[in-house]
Amino acid sequence: MMLKATYFDGRSACAHPVHIWLANGLLHVQGDGVALSVPQQAVDWPERTRHGMRVAHFAQGGLVQSEDSAAWDAWAKDGGLVESPVVKMQQNWRWVAGSVALLVGLVMAVQQWGLPLAADALVAVTPPSVETALGESTLAAVDEVVMQPSRLPQDQQAQIRAAFAQTVGHQAAGSVRPWQLVFRKSRIGPNALALPGGTIIMTDEMVMLADGDTRLLSAVLAHELGHVQQRHGVRMLVQATALGTLSAVVLGDFSAVLAMVPVMLGQAHYSRQAERGADAYAVKVLKAASLSPALMVTLFDKLNARRAMGQSPDKPASDAGSTASWLGIAFSSHPQDAERIAFFQAAAH
Amino acid sequence: MTDISPAAPTVPAAMHHPVHVPSRFTKRMRIRFTGSGSEYFRIWIVNLLLTVVTLTLYLPWARARRLRYFMGNTLVGGQPLGFHGDPRKMFRGYLLVATFFALYSVAGKFSSTAGFIALLAVAALWPALFKSSLQFRLANTSWRGLRMGFSGSLGGAYRAMLPVFVPGLILVGAQSWGVDVAHPPQWYLTVSGVVGLSALLVSPWLYWNLKLYQHHHYTLGTLQTTFTASVGSFYRLSLKVLGLALLALVVPMALAIIAIAWWAPQGSWVPLLVSAVPLLMVLLMLVSIKPFAVSRLQNLVWSKTGSAELRFDSKLRFRSLLRLTVKNWLLIVLTLGLYWPFAAVAMTRLRLQAMVIKTRTDPNLLMAHVHATAVEAVGDAAGDFFGLDVGL
Repeated sequence: MMLKATYFDGRSACAHPVHIWLANGLLHVQGDGVALSVPQQAVDWPERTRHGMRVAHFAQGGLVQSEDSAAWDAWAKDGGLVESPVVKMQQNWRWVAGSVALLVGLVMAVQQWGLPLAADALVAVTPPSVETALGESTLAAVDEVVMQPSRLPQDQQAQIRAAFAQTVGHQAAGSVRPWQLVFRKSRIGPNALALPGGTIIMTDEMVMLADGDTRLLSAVLAHELGHVQQRHGVRMLVQATALGTLSAVVLGDFSAVLAMVPVMLGQAHYSRQAERGADAYAVKVLKAASLSPALMVTLFDKLNARRAMGQSPDKPASDAGSTASWLGIAFSSHPQDAERIAFFQAAAH
Repeated sequence: MTDISPAAPTVPAAMHHPVHVPSRFTKRMRIRFTGSGSEYFRIWIVNLLLTVVTLTLYLPWARARRLRYFMGNTLVGGQPLGFHGDPRKMFRGYLLVATFFALYSVAGKFSSTAGFIALLAVAALWPALFKSSLQFRLANTSWRGLRMGFSGSLGGAYRAMLPVFVPGLILVGAQSWGVDVAHPPQWYLTVSGVVGLSALLVSPWLYWNLKLYQHHHYTLGTLQTTFTASVGSFYRLSLKVLGLALLALVVPMALAIIAIAWWAPQGSWVPLLVSAVPLLMVLLMLVSIKPFAVSRLQNLVWSKTGSAELRFDSKLRFRSLLRLTVKNWLLIVLTLGLYWPFAAVAMTRLRLQAMVIKTRTDPNLLMAHVHATAVEAVGDAAGDFFGLDVGL
């Protein structure tokens, strides 16, 4: 079967009208002053599209092209040229609809199960030294932005540390990861944070909120120890990186801003899961030390009272809403407070 | 045979002049983009699925298909552009750049010294990657069977791009030598101030320098482009963009202040309004400034690109670009991103069809420049990976 086409020789821009046909694995091109045969494998064949011409490039330079796409496609099929399965998918609306469905399902599955599993595996192989280094740089960064040295007297710090060590002492020996407790005065109000590598920061404002009650503070620290125990710091980092990469692949070529949205939503989801895990661990530690999980409820009440006070008209509003929800591991200010209070109340009975 | 229409429709323009003194750009080649949103949607969604399933290993093939579709539907004077980059080569480049990028993004998390070394490595390699990216992209693009090319030198790439890294290197370097950023010494503050200010002052010049390197070295056959825009024109454009940015900053602020003064007794409105201000600002910036800068820059850069035989001209209107940007954003948000391929096609059409090419020579007479150089695909991956916009 012959097809009318245009030939460019690759050396000049002059167009030559030609006829082309396929025979014995060769593409033959013939026209006025043009006669050549090119092995089929040395041709970069065009793919079928609804719009656009068909252009076949030769490896040694030069090309043939046709504006009549339908004629070309029929000619190629007749000549036995094989189409890539990808092209078949792209040109078939049923396959396309299937791809959309599959893609949505896949992204959801990756977000729900794939990333946490991958994070588990990566966290398991992360050496403690890496975690320590990460914790140190995070502490330095946090110190730089929101923290000042603690104003608490040394003996009160030692007292809180000792009380918590005693609470944790009821756990089986060797089952608890190493932890260090440091105190800081902060710009983020009452809070406690667990960093990768086992460092726990407690703010002076948290100690004041609890009126220095070491039982209440031990409850807070038990929750933070849950984060240390389950290595949430590295997990978060691994998950955020993986989610960011996935999101950038899917949405990045449109807008980097929009690509941030799934990352933030996914982070919120993982951070809620981490909070639940840490809460469950806190209950276990408190019960083993014969302390009531209801201590946490007292703490939530105090936090809420403080928040309500912050919103009264004679106080600036900026202080109340900004209790550091930007740190995923933060203790307070999560929207599902009610759910968590119910959890601790149930555990207390 | 060709679709080139003479500028004067009644009399062929060449008749006014003796053939050997061609002094005017008499032939106009229109650029037409024939791609369709619904077709690119099908290509895009299948690309995306395969990319996710293969854990991004399919990206080079996806990129090759995308480029082939967009270039194949770009008709210059009635003839399509062709892209024939080999995805297998692009895959090698992709692996190399991905490793490089992963190392770079991890390094800064550990120590500032590691971060400094990583930045140093990027500064040392980036110009070379950028150059080979341009070379690969153009050497694999053809029109009427003639390969395009990029003739910029390696030294030129370093001269054009290294200055961009200087401010960052100074600041990160100081940190890795033990400057405590929480309690910076006086000299560090002075140095950062001076570095920041001078970076701001020279950035239009740096950008001009980069565009000069790119647009001075495009080739097609025996033709090579030159770039004749002045540094001053880049400074004037920067000032306009800066002015618009200030406006976008001042207007929402003023609105917020008025609103706060008005609503202050009710109290509870205030935090809501205060948090709405930055949002509004960002929206305004996104919506109006980018189309403004993009349209003016495209017109400036391409109208000053050409050669003795051939000139580009671009008349992209800010209003059309703004309208299309707003429409694209709205529809993308409403469709949760599924409109993106339609938006990409519409944007490409608007930007490409705002351009024309004027020539003196009949395109049939252009001759190819005989050159055979094997170009590695590494640069192409780098250009795409880091979001560098290569080409139109």
